[in-house]
Amino acid sequence: MGIVISLVIASAIGVISFGHETKRDVALGAALGVLGASVILAALGFCTFASDAESTEGVLGVAVGATFAWIFGAGTRAVFSQKSADLGSGDIRTGTFKLAGYWPWLLLSPTLLVLIFFLYLPAYRTFTLSTKLTRLGTPRVGERCLSNFSELLITSPSVLVMLPLTAVGIIWGVGLWHRRSEPGSWAHDFTRIIRPFGIVLFVFAIYFIFENENGGYRQIYFNTVIISSSIVIISMVLGLALAYLTFGNVRGITAYRTLLIWPYAISPPVAGILFFMMFNATGGIFAAVADNWFGFDFPNYAQNATLARGIVILASVWKLLGYNLLFFLAGLQTVPREQIEAAAIDGANAFQRFRKIVVPALGPIAFFLLITNLTFSFFDVYGTIDFLTKGAPAGATSVSIYEIIRVGVDNGDLGRGAAQSVVLFLAVIALTAWQFKQSEGRISYGSA
Amino acid sequence: MKKLLAILLSFTVLAAACSSDSDDSSDATAAPDDTSDAGDASPIEIEMWIAFNDDARLNYTKERAAEFNEKHPDYEVVVTPFDSYNTVFEQTTLAIDDGNPPEVIHFFEAATQDALDAIDANGDPIFKSVTAAAAGRSEILGEPVVLDDVVSAATNYYTIDGSLFSMPWNTSSTTMFSNMDILAAAGIDEPPTTWAGVEEACDAIAALPDAPDNCISWPNHGWFFEQALGQAGVDLANNDNGRSARATEVALNSDAAIDYVQWWSDLEDSGDYVYTGTQRDWAGSSAAFNSQNVAMLVFSSSDTTVITDDGAENGFDVRTSFMPYNQERDYVGNLIGGATLWMTNGLDEASEDGALAFMNFFSNPENAALWHKTTGYIPITNEATALLETEGWFAESPNSAVASEQLNAAANTPASTGALLGNFVAIRDVVTAAIEDILVNDVDVTERMNSAQDEAQSLLDDYNELFG
Repeated sequence: MGIVISLVIASAIGVISFGHETKRDVALGAALGVLGASVILAALGFCTFASDAESTEGVLGVAVGATFAWIFGAGTRAVFSQKSADLGSGDIRTGTFKLAGYWPWLLLSPTLLVLIFFLYLPAYRTFTLSTKLTRLGTPRVGERCLSNFSELLITSPSVLVMLPLTAVGIIWGVGLWHRRSEPGSWAHDFTRIIRPFGIVLFVFAIYFIFENENGGYRQIYFNTVIISSSIVIISMVLGLALAYLTFGNVRGITAYRTLLIWPYAISPPVAGILFFMMFNATGGIFAAVADNWFGFDFPNYAQNATLARGIVILASVWKLLGYNLLFFLAGLQTVPREQIEAAAIDGANAFQRFRKIVVPALGPIAFFLLITNLTFSFFDVYGTIDFLTKGAPAGATSVSIYEIIRVGVDNGDLGRGAAQSVVLFLAVIALTAWQFKQSEGRISYGSA
Repeated sequence: MKKLLAILLSFTVLAAACSSDSDDSSDATAAPDDTSDAGDASPIEIEMWIAFNDDARLNYTKERAAEFNEKHPDYEVVVTPFDSYNTVFEQTTLAIDDGNPPEVIHFFEAATQDALDAIDANGDPIFKSVTAAAAGRSEILGEPVVLDDVVSAATNYYTIDGSLFSMPWNTSSTTMFSNMDILAAAGIDEPPTTWAGVEEACDAIAALPDAPDNCISWPNHGWFFEQALGQAGVDLANNDNGRSARATEVALNSDAAIDYVQWWSDLEDSGDYVYTGTQRDWAGSSAAFNSQNVAMLVFSSSDTTVITDDGAENGFDVRTSFMPYNQERDYVGNLIGGATLWMTNGLDEASEDGALAFMNFFSNPENAALWHKTTGYIPITNEATALLETEGWFAESPNSAVASEQLNAAANTPASTGALLGNFVAIRDVVTAAIEDILVNDVDVTERMNSAQDEAQSLLDDYNELFG
């Protein structure tokens, strides 16, 4: 039953992602969808639809099948369109290799070997581990199908399906409304304003699909979203502001810049130690100052969830700031002076010049920083958190990467640890894809 | 200012500990000079991986290794520090699969079952029983075997199938440290021994005009919870705490357990107990005591010497006493904590004898006594205790005798021996997380312990599915 539903959905997804201009396309798309779903479900041994599987696992099975149907459909379409573009275009002609066909592969092989052994194989191992129950040095390995994943989610399959679909539906609907409405009408403006909030809605919907019981993943998700997004937003805004301030000609500007970039050279755990020494309530520097000079009790961040998150964000922003500053400074030097002067002559004030000329010119750099900062805030905060709060109080600063290491390494539960890293991996992939889609056409890398 | 100094100091130690990894190579190159007259054969290397990377305990170990190397030119014991027991274990498991394992590793009590169950890629156990390897010899390479002389509390805990499987090293219990200056000011002559006594003392201390911030503290660590169960004589796991057969059921929500957590939570609600906010925060709790922010500290006896000396340095008198127990239940006994030295399986005879000789040398009466004096871990053999008594050590530093006395006072039951339990480390973390939730978020004790129970049981079930 589950398999049939999954394959029907997969064939539909295959058709949508492959395209449906002709009857042949529809048939091919459906076949690709079914093939994609069957491959992954067969690799899992169809366990998600076994009689003893939980219903949430069934939902996950359908979702995994649909994802692979989409990959197969869209992937084949991309390959086809690449081929037809090669043949069709008149002005660019592909040359012919004078060397034997294996030459390019031979030259690529060092890179490919590195990629295979250090990236693809470990990633594949993580995926296979995530369906198992295992530890180091065990005589047996337990098969877990997708229960390492389903236990992170709420137990109600219908809500699990409905929530993300509703969010996607609303986002899609708003987009459709925007396109269909008359430019200049209130509906057009309204949908334009609310469209960017689609991601917030989606993030919110995802929040509710995670388990909320004690030790549930919802808190981890919440921590990760709050801490990561705060780190990225604050460090980028502050980085740009400081870069703008130190870009002008002030006496001793080189010294300021060097001092501002300094924290970048400090590793995340050391940043954690430094902030611990400053803010720790039972003997930190600020506590001593507050106590001895001003006579008030310095609040203990380890007992207050908001303060604890704040301190982690502060330490990470401090660490990242120098990096962002460096890139924004480099970016500012590429902003054409003539344009700014011309705008100034035309009467644009400082803010307008900043908003309309500097910010767009910094687009590519800001986009690059957004990706690197996100990676940092997802993965490198471990060291800072471990020295500052160790996830305290009551897990309020335990972010995704911290929980992965706690479960997978400290508790030695390799399967659950791997499952959580797959979740983080998917989140980063999704976010990066979303950013690329958002920035399409908006970021100018200069005229070609 | 003192607090600031203490914290700066602890980071210097930390920094020194971190840099100590790089010291190894220089030590290794310096040591072999002594062996030049031993003939042309290079010495057999005995690698010892330990989980102490602080200067004091690491240097102590390296000094003993150097002494052993000097005495036995055919052998060279090389000590490598790691940052935690888990890291040692993980690295050992991986090294075994690589075919180049260390000979001796340092592993802690809670993971005894995990260490016994672990196997290598060929399906052989990773560790070998030291008693079996000693095979009844009274001395190995001239080093007297001290296995039979290990004090009973440690022997009981680490005995598997009738004999010691690993060689006990650092062994401690939970004791209470009192700032006698504050207690005396509040009109209390003796440290309290029961929960009610603690509450009474705290009321008196809170009434002082210059009362400390809080009355009492101890780290949030599953070990204290286990101690409370031992005191009440209640098993943590079925099958006699996993001693008569593999434990298949864990009990975090027994009445005794709930009572203890409830008392802890009430003490926190009344402001008498202060939680540092971090799990397993040994440093934070002892810092609160050293800086006189609390009058009493329940802690591991492992730091008896340091805490007593720090108190003297900061100008107050420290007295050690038994961990307070619930006056409404009959006292059964406190249990040990700490770690043992494990010998890896499949060594050749010469390496095995070298490893065994070193382990017995390491805990011979003189060394065991020195280790006790340096740290506060109990003297691990009866002969070491006797030696210390002859020296008059206990009369001179009465605090150091308390942990051994507390362990000797315990009845020999499974509950006071301690549980042998698979996945115990993760189960401890479940306990710690639940207690933190109760302390910080004020959730209902019984409900929270029930959900912790479910979580712990599923961890044990998972473990037994793999190993049982």
